[in-house]
Parts: sequence; structure tokens; C-alpha cells
Amino acid sequence: METSFALTGNGYVIVAADTTAARSIVKMKIDEDKIKTLSSHLLMAHSGEPGDTIQFAEYVERNIRLFQIRNNYALRPSAAASWIRRSLAQSLRSRHPYAVNLLLGGYDTAEDQPHLYWIDYLGTSTEVPFGAHGYGSYFALSLLDRYHDPNATLEEGLATLRRCVDEVSKRLVVSPGKYKVKVVDKDGTREIEF
Amino acid sequence: MPDMVSIGQPQQRQFNPYSENGGTILAIAGANFSVIAGDTRQSEGYNIQTRYAPKVFRLTDKAVLAVNGFAADGSMFVKKVKQRLEWYRHAHAKDMPLRAIARLIQTMLYSRRFFPYYVYNILGGIEEDGSGAVYSFDPVGSYERESCRAAGAAQSLVQPFLDNQIYFKNQRPPPGTSNPTHLPLHEVLSLVIDSFTSATERHIEVGDGLEIFVVLAKGSTTQGLENFANVQEMTQTREGERMFNIRRNLKRD
Amino acid sequence: MSIMQYNGGSVIAMVGKDCVAIASDLRLGNQALGISSNFQKIFSVTDRIYLGLPGLATDVTTLRELFRYRVNMYTIKEEREIQPETFAHLVSSTLYEHRFGPYFIEPVMAGLSKTPSGSFKPFIAATDLIGCLNFAKDFVVAGTASEKLYGVAEGLWESDLEPEDLFETISQTMLNAVDRDAYSGWGVVVHVITKDKVVTRTLKGRMD
Repeated sequence: METSFALTGNGYVIVAADTTAARSIVKMKIDEDKIKTLSSHLLMAHSGEPGDTIQFAEYVERNIRLFQIRNNYALRPSAAASWIRRSLAQSLRSRHPYAVNLLLGGYDTAEDQPHLYWIDYLGTSTEVPFGAHGYGSYFALSLLDRYHDPNATLEEGLATLRRCVDEVSKRLVVSPGKYKVKVVDKDGTREIEF
Repeated sequence: MPDMVSIGQPQQRQFNPYSENGGTILAIAGANFSVIAGDTRQSEGYNIQTRYAPKVFRLTDKAVLAVNGFAADGSMFVKKVKQRLEWYRHAHAKDMPLRAIARLIQTMLYSRRFFPYYVYNILGGIEEDGSGAVYSFDPVGSYERESCRAAGAAQSLVQPFLDNQIYFKNQRPPPGTSNPTHLPLHEVLSLVIDSFTSATERHIEVGDGLEIFVVLAKGSTTQGLENFANVQEMTQTREGERMFNIRRNLKRD
Repeated sequence: MSIMQYNGGSVIAMVGKDCVAIASDLRLGNQALGISSNFQKIFSVTDRIYLGLPGLATDVTTLRELFRYRVNMYTIKEEREIQPETFAHLVSSTLYEHRFGPYFIEPVMAGLSKTPSGSFKPFIAATDLIGCLNFAKDFVVAGTASEKLYGVAEGLWESDLEPEDLFETISQTMLNAVDRDAYSGWGVVVHVITKDKVVTRTLKGRMD
């Protein structure tokens, strides 16, 4: 089942999402990238209704890019989170709402701080030190309560992520096989071999 | 034209053997006393059936049972408990101890596990060691000894208030002191009256009368009980625990 | 399970002597799963009006933004600060606009209103999710722990409490009520509004 995690650390946000695209009981694809790079310092993991996820993620991506072209500067993470949340909240009360859950990780270059937003398909948005979506959240959140350290180095952060991934593999009946892990920090976004 | 008999439409009928009659009960244990209280309103939906239907009953000189939920089940259950206690008296020539009554109530409730008495019971009284005790039950007999419990329609209003005032939850004592484990009788009575006044104010199913039973341990003084209005002694045997009853009206506005 | 209970959360407001207080819990959940222990539900509208928005979390943010916009428009057009009574009616009419497809929020307001003589009068109010106003003289509650809040507040509150005593009363009410509610808790925030300052305190509560 679809699972995504994210956690903040000392000057970075790690965002991880599984790479399986399933339809009913069939794995259609095992190398799906569910983490979009929205701008130089912004990552967004998306999960939920297939089709909605990609459509909405690309809609967000193009609008964030459009803002950048028009104004010659990128939205800060908090502003991007507000805009994305509002899009979902408006969609919720439309005829065909998007069913998309998001983890938005970004690095605010103006104040040199990492930020992580937990956003669900209703348009609920909250800034969190760590967050998760999907069945994995039931295992990961308690581990993150115990092991998360906002001042941890990237290596320590990845070790904490490893605990989450391992626990989900061990205990979840339909656990995803592989994860894609991306990091955003002062130098921008990059993928990490995990 | 007469109604045609329609065929082929399945009809389902159901008899619901239960009802809910509102009201609230409450019991607090002290070091050497126990207070058991209940309001006297009995209702069904928005209809008040009577303004005086007791929910608190004397079982022995040292045990009081409060029942709340479905009134018909409640009165039948109390009747059967009293009957069992009488049989015990005939067999053993003494009153059943409180903790034994508690266990008896559990077995009586659980024996009806699949057609339960729809009642929440609170048993209060004096233990054999002379300490005040409160036992609370769910409808199928899970029970626990506590020092304070509210049940019924206004449980959710009263219980958090009692957590704060009896258990001193969320209150840190001044440095070098500790919160008291038991409160004196007059303070307990004030809290009981305040609880029911609050519940009457905010809950439509609570009101009319308040009936408070006080059980005092063997050899203890009346602890200021005589200062309360409408106190009536109900003790039946001498030189044992003493039992009192206080009746009050609840706010009518 | 009702939409009103989906995210959990509770708010209470109380009147004191020349002061008002408003408090909320800090939990954001998805049914039984806790998501955040720092989800603010109380927002300042002006320096002397605070608004609590318990209910569906997406609507908490949406309404907060909507009221900020409408109060800003009022301030610009009228060239003065909005008064609590006026704001209460703004809240009411905004919610009633969505009478047949409401925002799932039961707002609670607390503030000090200016009297003609220049002094300040405590004001609290609450509405249901379609904007039916309730101006109470003592306290108003809303959210998943509302029954418990009513019970404790009815027992602890008294009239004409000084700011520090009002703070203690509202804090104890909130803490003990949310401890009996599975959907509320995870910390409490209290604002005490007096004529010349607002004191905001975050309380440590049970985290279970």
C-alpha cells in the first residue's frame, strides 16, 4: 500500500515515498517517482487516487513555475503550502474533488530554515517536524515520536528514516518494496540512493 | 374503496425491550464514610414520567446501591440484589460485607451477559476494615473499586469536574505538601451538591430532586452532618455503621 | 463518525472582571490517529478580539483566511477597527451564506468592546456551524469536548474573576475536560485579554 514519510533535521528535509504503482492486486510499476521537485528548494510527495495525484501534482508544478517566471523569484515553502492547500480546499467543495495527500518539504532560503507541511485531500495543512501518509503512518509516526531529532545530521536523519522503512517492511501486510528518497537543503534538492 | 392487500412486500417488525430513562448518579468515598447520590427525575425522551423516582437504595446498614439507565431493569435488579442479601442474612445471621456484595453484583450482571440489565450500577458503603468504598459497574458486570464515580446522562459533565476536585488532577500541590487522598465529609457533600446543580443547569434529563445517602463507619462522629438541612437517619441496627439520607430540591429555572 | 469529530479539538471562552479569556487544545488528528500537537485553532482578529475555530481542520484554515480578508476590508472601508459585536454578526452572516453546504466549524469569540465612555466591556459569543449566535454572560464552549467543558466550567466558573484567577479557571476547565476526551488534548493554549495587553500561555498537558 502507498506510503510516504518526511522528516526535518538540521538544515534539511528528507522526503521518502514508495515507488509502486498498484491497481487492485496488481503491481503495474515498481519505479514510479511520487516526489515532484516543484522548484529549486521545494519537494512534494503525492499519494492518493491514481490519476488525481499526477494531474494535481503537475498542476501545482506548472503554477509554481508560472509564479517564478512572472515574478522572478520562487515562492517560499510557507507560501507554496498556503497556495496548494487552498487549491485542495476549493477542489474539495467542487463537483469532482482531487483525492490527493501531500508532504511538502522545502528549504526557506530567506530565513535559512527547513520546513515541512503535512497536507491531506481535504485541504488540512499543518507544519510538522515529521509526517507520514498511508498505512505506513501507523507504524512510522510512533517511531518518529521516539527517534526524531530536529537537530540531527543528514546521516542520522536517514538512519531514522531507515527505521521507519524497515518497520513498515516488517509489519505491514502489503508493504511496498522500494522507496525513492529525496532531500532538500540549502544547496537545493537531490535524490539520495537509499 | 377498501385497501387492497399487497402481496410480496416483506415486512419487518421489531420489539425493543429497552428504554433509557435519563438521570445521573454519583458516589464518592471518604476515609471513613461514603456518599452516594442521585437525582430523582425519570424521563423518556422529552417526556418527564415522574419528578420523584428514587435511583439510590439502601441495601444494608453499610451498603447503598445507585442504579441508572433503564428504570424497569434498575428496579428489578435492585429487587433481586435485596433478595439475595436477605437469603444471605438467613443463612449466615449477618449482613453481607461490601466487597462480597460487589462480587455478587458482578455475577448477577454477567449471568445476563446476552440479555443484560441495561443499568449502570454504583455501589457505595463501608468496607469491613472501616474504610469508605465505591464500586462502579458496567451493564455486564465489569467492576472496579474507586474513590469517586459519576454515571448516567450527565456523566461526561460531572466526571471531569470530579477528576479535578476529588483526584486533584492537573493540580500541583504547593512545594513540600501533597494533595489530600480523602476529603472531609462536608467538602464531599458540597461537591456532590455543586455537581448536581451544574448538571441540572446544563442537562435536561437531570433535575427535580436530589437524594444523598451518607454511610458513616462504625464509631465515627457525624462529622458536621447535623449542619445540613433535611437529614434523616436510616440506621436499622444499633452499634454498627450509621446511614443518613439528605433530600434537596434542584434548581427549577 | 461525524465530520465535526473528524479532526477533533475544543475551544472555550470565559468572561472575567474587565477581562476575557479564550482557550483551545492543540491536537490535530485524523479520527483516532494524532497528526500534530501544535495545531492552533485560535486567531487574533484585532488586538482585542480573538476567534476560536474548532471543527473540520481544512475549514479552520479556510475560515481564518476568509475572516482575515473580510475584517481587513471592513477596516479599510470603515477606517476603524471592527468591534466584537459587529464581528460576531460578520461571523454569523458569513456562516449563514453557506446554509445548505456549511463550513464544519463552530466559532467561539472573545473580546473587549469599547463603550461610549471609552472604557472596555467584556464580550464573548459562539455560533453553531450555520451561524446561530449565542451571546452568553458567563462562558461559551465548542468542539469535541464541549459536554465536558460545560460540566467543569459550570462547576468552576464564578463572576468577576480577576485576569490571573480567570486564567487559572479557564486553564483548569480546559485541562480537565480534554483529559476525558480522546479527540482533544495534546497541549492547551490560553489567551487572557485585558484592556492594555493580551497574555498568551501554552500549557503542558497530558500527551495521551
